[in-house]
This record gives sequence, C-alpha cells and structure tokens, in this order.
Amino acid sequence: MIEHELTVSNRLGLHARATAKLVQTLSAYRSSATLTAKGREVNAKSIMGVMLLAAGKGTQVRLRVEGEDEDRAAEAVISLFERRFDEDS
Amino acid sequence: MRQEFNGHGASRGSALGRARVRLPHVLEVVEEHIPARAVETEVARLHAAIATVRSEMFALRERLHGALAHEVGEFLDLHSLLLDDPELLQGLDELIRTGRYSADYALRLQRDRIASVFQTMDDAYFRSRVDDIDQVIGRVHAALHRHDAGMPGVAGEILVTDNVAPAEIAQLQAQGVMAIVTTTGSVLSHSAILARSLHLPLVVGTPQAMQKINDGDVLAVDGASGRVILEPDAADLRAHRARVRELARERKQLHRLRREPTRTLDGVDVKLYANAESREDVAEAHALGSAGVGLYRTEFLFLQRNELPDEEEQFRVYRDVVLGMTGRTVTIRTLDLGADKADRTGLALRDEPNPALGLRGVRLSLARDGLLDAQLRALVRASGYGPVRILLPMVSTREEVRSVRATLKHVTAELRAQGHEIAENVPLGAMIEVPAAAIALPAFIGSVDFLSIGTNDLVQYLLAADRNNEALTSLYTPLHPAVIRLIRDVIRQGQKRGKPVAVCGEIAGDPHFAPMLLALGLTEFSLHPATLLEVRRTIRHCDHARLQANAAALLRARDRKGIETWIAENAPSVG
Repeated sequence: MIEHELTVSNRLGLHARATAKLVQTLSAYRSSATLTAKGREVNAKSIMGVMLLAAGKGTQVRLRVEGEDEDRAAEAVISLFERRFDEDS
Repeated sequence: MRQEFNGHGASRGSALGRARVRLPHVLEVVEEHIPARAVETEVARLHAAIATVRSEMFALRERLHGALAHEVGEFLDLHSLLLDDPELLQGLDELIRTGRYSADYALRLQRDRIASVFQTMDDAYFRSRVDDIDQVIGRVHAALHRHDAGMPGVAGEILVTDNVAPAEIAQLQAQGVMAIVTTTGSVLSHSAILARSLHLPLVVGTPQAMQKINDGDVLAVDGASGRVILEPDAADLRAHRARVRELARERKQLHRLRREPTRTLDGVDVKLYANAESREDVAEAHALGSAGVGLYRTEFLFLQRNELPDEEEQFRVYRDVVLGMTGRTVTIRTLDLGADKADRTGLALRDEPNPALGLRGVRLSLARDGLLDAQLRALVRASGYGPVRILLPMVSTREEVRSVRATLKHVTAELRAQGHEIAENVPLGAMIEVPAAAIALPAFIGSVDFLSIGTNDLVQYLLAADRNNEALTSLYTPLHPAVIRLIRDVIRQGQKRGKPVAVCGEIAGDPHFAPMLLALGLTEFSLHPATLLEVRRTIRHCDHARLQANAAALLRARDRKGIETWIAENAPSVG
C-alpha cells in the first residue's frame, strides 16, 4: 500500500473537470485508491465521491493506493496533482 | 379553433396527428416497493436503462466534431463518468436489493441523498453540480420508461417540445413519432440534418407552439414549408392528403429504383457505394443495390470501452461486413480517432488544444505500438471472405502511406506463413481531406491504389472554417471555387493514373450536388444509404456529356452565388 500527502494547488480545486481527469487517470489501473480530506475518506475512482470532498485550492488530501500496480497508479496521480491538472496554462 | 404557426421547414414530409407536448423532464416518483422475487429483474431493468443512456450519449458524442465537441464533449465526459460511477451504481443496486425499492424510486432516493450532500457545500460551484447529477439521473429515468409497454405511447403523435437533441431523433422515430415541432432550433442544426437523413418531418422555430398547443390537439405539419396548423379545417385536410399522396407516389417510384442501374441518360455508369457503421447499414446498403461499401467506419469498435479490441474481435466484425455484402467491394477505414472523440482506452490524447489539427487518424495509428498491426491483420484476414479495400484517414504525407504499406506487406506475409486464406492483394487507399495531400497528390499517388475525398474535413481545413461554428455557417460550404477546383484536380489526377476516386463526404449524399460532381468527372459516390435512391434518381436524369461540357462554366464561377446559379441551371428535371 502506498500513502502520499498531496495539496490541491490548481486554481479551481477538485471541481468536475479536474475530478474527471483524476478518475480517468485512475481507471487505467487495477489498484484501488482513496482520498481522505477533512476527515472523510472517499473512493478516488468515483467522480461522485471525489466531488463530494469539495476540496478547494489549498486543501490537504491523503492519497492511498493499494493493488498490483500501485506504484504506477500513485505516480500518475501525484504527477497529475503536480501538473495542477494541466489547467493553469 | 383553427390556428396557424409558421416555423422553418427543417425536414420534409407531412404529418397529421395528435400533439404530444413535452415539458422539460422532472423527476416525480412516488415510493414504490417490489416483491423479493422481482429484485434481480428490477436491478437488470435499471442496468438496461443505464446501458441505453450510455449508448445514447455515445451516439451523441459520435455526431459531434470540432469546437462543439470540445464544449459539449466536456459535459458528456462528465456525464459518462457519473453514469459509470461505482458509488452511484452500488448505491442504486443496494437500494433495490435491500430496500426492495423500484428502480424509479431508488433513482429518486439516490438523487436526493447525493443532492443533500452537495447542497450543504459552501462552494457555489460544487453546489451547482447537482444539476449534472440531475441530468444524468433524469436521462436514466426517462430510459427506464421508454421500453415500458404501459407508457402512453407516442406512436402516431407529433412531438411538440422546446428542443430536440440529436441523440433523441432516431429513438423518437423508432417509437413512432410522426413529426417534431420545436420552439427553438435551426435548420442547420445537427438535429435537423439527422431528421432529414431519417426522413422525419421537422419544423423548428415556432415560439408560440408550446403555449398554444395542448396535449391531444390535432395538428397538421408540413415539414417542407414549416407550416403547423392547429385544428385543421376541411381545406387543410384536403391539402394534407394531397401532399401525402404526392410523397407516397414519390417513395414508390424511388423504391423501384433499387434494382435499377445508376446510369446517366447518355449511358455513363456511376458507382454508388454506401457509408456504413452498423449491421443495419450494411443490410440496407445491400438491399438498395449499392456497388459496395465505400466507407466502413471502425471507430465504434474502439470507443466506450476500457480495453482495445483485439485482432480476433476486429476480424469477426470485418468478416461479417464482407460476408454481408456478398462479393461486392467493402472499403474499411482504419481507426479515425482524435482527441475530439471520447475513448477510455487512453489511446487518443485528451485535451489537445486543437483536436482537428492533432494526433488523429493515420497519425494516431502510426504513433501507437501494435494498433495498426492488429487492425491490418484483422482486415487482411477478412479479405479471405470477399473483396476488401483498406482506407487511411487524415493522410498528409507520402511517408505515412509508405509506412502503412510496409506494415501491410509485413502482416500479409506473416498471415500467409501462418496458413491464413487471404486475398492476393488488398488495395490500400488514402482519404483526401488534408489540403496538403490534395495539392501534393502527384508525389504520392503512385503509392496508393485508390482515393476517397472526404469533403467534410477537406472543406473545413481548406477554408479554415469549423463546420460546427454557428457564426461561420455561410463560410463553411463546399460551394467555394477553391473546393471545386481541388476536387476536380484530385479526380483528374486519379483518372490520369488509373486510380479510382470517390467522394465520401456529405455532398455525395445530397442529390442537389450530384450534377456538379458529375461535371467535375466523379463516377464514384459514397453516401449514407438513406439518400442513396434519391441520388440515383437524380443521376439517372443527368446528361453526362452535357454536364462535362458545362464544367468549364462551373470552374469559372467566382463565388458561392455563381456556383449556386450553375447548380440551378444544370439541375435535371426529376419527375
């Protein structure tokens, strides 16, 4: 299992478009993934779950990935957060 | 009391029937329980509805290109993801299984549950996402009822609504809707184009219709003139009957043309190929006496799924198309995917800044390992069952053709070595839709066996005008001297080198343009089966030699108006 602390740093936060990207990214991997923020843990592969976090800019989230391809899955998510979901260009 | 509304005729045809007024969808469901033994059936019913919505959204997405796809597509993507959301689905299944609620009520409960959480959010943006969830759940709810025999049917009725989505049109027709009247909309919309191709009468832009017409009122609709009559009187009914007789006579005459050759008055034979993407299209293409399939789109095999189709799956689909055409040529286009089409395989790049100019068509096939190999192997294997031609989309350079040619040669040798029964030679052709390919054609025509001009994209790229940009509707037109000249040049090059040239864009399927294309030297059309007989009828009334003689005047036309005048002057009288 891999755990990683992330900060939502794109301007709009985990809104629909960013959430869609996150879910689409994760859908390519078999591992299960959750995000925890504000004391709530949600399925990171569920767009509804992630949107329900209502994580705006600056929110700290904990990513937890578990499964056969957890390394690559976690890496993909971390990179997505670091790239600010490619939206600030 | 008789009343008359004048809208815009968007799709020909006449209908007389009772009005069905559709108000915007509202989810009003009462609490409903089901017996334990019905639980699994109910879950299955829900999942079938979800699958219906998924394919509807897919169909809608398929019809979108360019800028519109970028805007609408983003919502569709979000809605597709919501539809497949594990939380949403599990919640619904649980409600049905443990709560023993009907699928309808489970939807309602789930919607309220999610909405209540969203509504407590501080962020207005997140609060408003309830709208997306409502839309998705509303669609599923509507789909649940579409197949119910008990639902007050719409067969024989005329739908009066604010607007109609392209994805709904085919379904409404299948349900028996005879005509559609909308308060908004345009004659040039995708819905209108689709209604025309399905021969479903459509009148758009009648703002008063929703206020004045009530459920059950009798309406007479004329999709040609755009006139809608509420409570028609005796004279109206007479006029309606006359129009219906006229249309029936026309249809009957058209129907007779199924077994007739597509030959001009002076004996020039023209090949009408069909564009197809489904089993139904192929069957219809065969029944209408088409020369074969001129464009079989393979995208549907790749969209809406998480894993790529393997060689075996592709092979079976291609083989069935070939078998369905019983020896007539089948032209199959390799994957034409770009960032403007949703796929979940991770194949196409997402969010390219300009998908129309991006990694798409043959560019994508060459960029992804194994993709082209598997498709070519499947195609060559299908050639063992009947004549197959391979068509490459978005070709812009000679290298692309040569690169595919090398792979084709390689897989052919491999398949032979493996003992597969395949054709001696599978022709390889290029779509001409990138202006560079049309202009530099002499440089690579030696590397291809045939050509197909994709006018929809060629016009868009040549005129730098997005076909879906409403502000450019007068600019986006094949009736531009540059387009006419380029089409003529490509046809001539093909003739000179003995390579067949077809046109497979929308203009090939519109009878108005047939004389113009014949004048430019075209003898192969590839078009949707829906208008094949109309185009055949027009061609049968054309004098090929006279059109050829008038071609010079067409090429001298200096603007759209000049070309339109030529078309009007050269239109054959079809009676």
